[in-house]
Amino acid sequence: MAAAVYTPGREGTLASDMIAAARRNGRVAVPVTSLPALLDELAAGNPVIVFQNLGLGFVPRWHYAVAYGYDLAAGRIVLHSGATERLATPLDTFENTWARSGYWGLVVLPPDRLPVTATEASALDAAAGIERARRPREAVTAYRTVLARWPDDLRAWMGLGNAAFAAADLAAAQAAFEHATVVVPAAPEAWNNLAYVFAAQGRSNDAVTAAQRAVTLAPPAQAQTYLDTLAELTHASP
Amino acid sequence: MSAIVTGALLATTLPVNPGHAAMIATDAVGVAGTPSTAALRARLDAFLRRADVQAGLTRLGVPPVEAQARVAALSDAEVDLLAGRVADVPAGGDTAGLAGLVLLTVIVMLVSDVLCYTNIFQFNRCVLR
Repeated sequence: MAAAVYTPGREGTLASDMIAAARRNGRVAVPVTSLPALLDELAAGNPVIVFQNLGLGFVPRWHYAVAYGYDLAAGRIVLHSGATERLATPLDTFENTWARSGYWGLVVLPPDRLPVTATEASALDAAAGIERARRPREAVTAYRTVLARWPDDLRAWMGLGNAAFAAADLAAAQAAFEHATVVVPAAPEAWNNLAYVFAAQGRSNDAVTAAQRAVTLAPPAQAQTYLDTLAELTHASP
Repeated sequence: MSAIVTGALLATTLPVNPGHAAMIATDAVGVAGTPSTAALRARLDAFLRRADVQAGLTRLGVPPVEAQARVAALSDAEVDLLAGRVADVPAGGDTAGLAGLVLLTVIVMLVSDVLCYTNIFQFNRCVLR
């Protein structure tokens, strides 16, 4: 973990490393970049890691804190900052120090939850990041969580299928790719990957049929990829 | 000097490998035409696997495996930014000569900067925030 976030030469942890480290640990990491979004997350009970510049632009003093509550009537935000477990800071002071970091904030949650301010794109980025970090089981959960909120997202269905395939859950991969062909019937990607699932299941005839379907649907610029799949799977079948 | 180096880097591009039979990666879904992010990822990965590049990274105190893991966890937009800095440099020896070696060193330093390991070039913001 220390190697994952520590950056030699910078003597500290960089914000990007936090995102990467969260994903490599199978967590959903979504940026939060405005005060209204920050307050929405806190209201939903999601703590937010915030990057502050406690100094000035020309003598920066960088600092991470975790915001976990606020009191709008008193105009204060509650931070866990350094060794101080509860630091109630005036909201305008906080906003100034946060603005000097470019409003960098991050919500990190287990893969079965999503930040309330996540957009379809940022939620998908977070799930795809877990998949790329080779945590397929957590990625499956994250994609299912994304699909609960955006059930028609083709990339989420494809990601679910790919992550399930990587986790060796062929039945779940098949179901996801089949659903992808229903959500976007003209998507050759879904048929292509479904073909590989059928091949892995030993269903060579179904694999060839699905690969042919992908070739039929492919736009000219991508045709070669799908023709190659068809050739490979036809060759592989008895 | 800085502007010239950046210009040279942006002007050069790697050839994109022709497609081959495979599962379509999630990142490549619905991305038609121009080099897909998947191709850019493959390009970056190939670059980081080169022996001369790994030697350069090690000299800068960057473990090559750690650099690859960081790149793997980046989002598409972040990869687009990073891949734009990686140009095709002839692998050391044959045609490269001193000029090629210098260019390679500069690019390894750039990548290290962008990956937020170092801050060698003032103009080269650590894009990964």
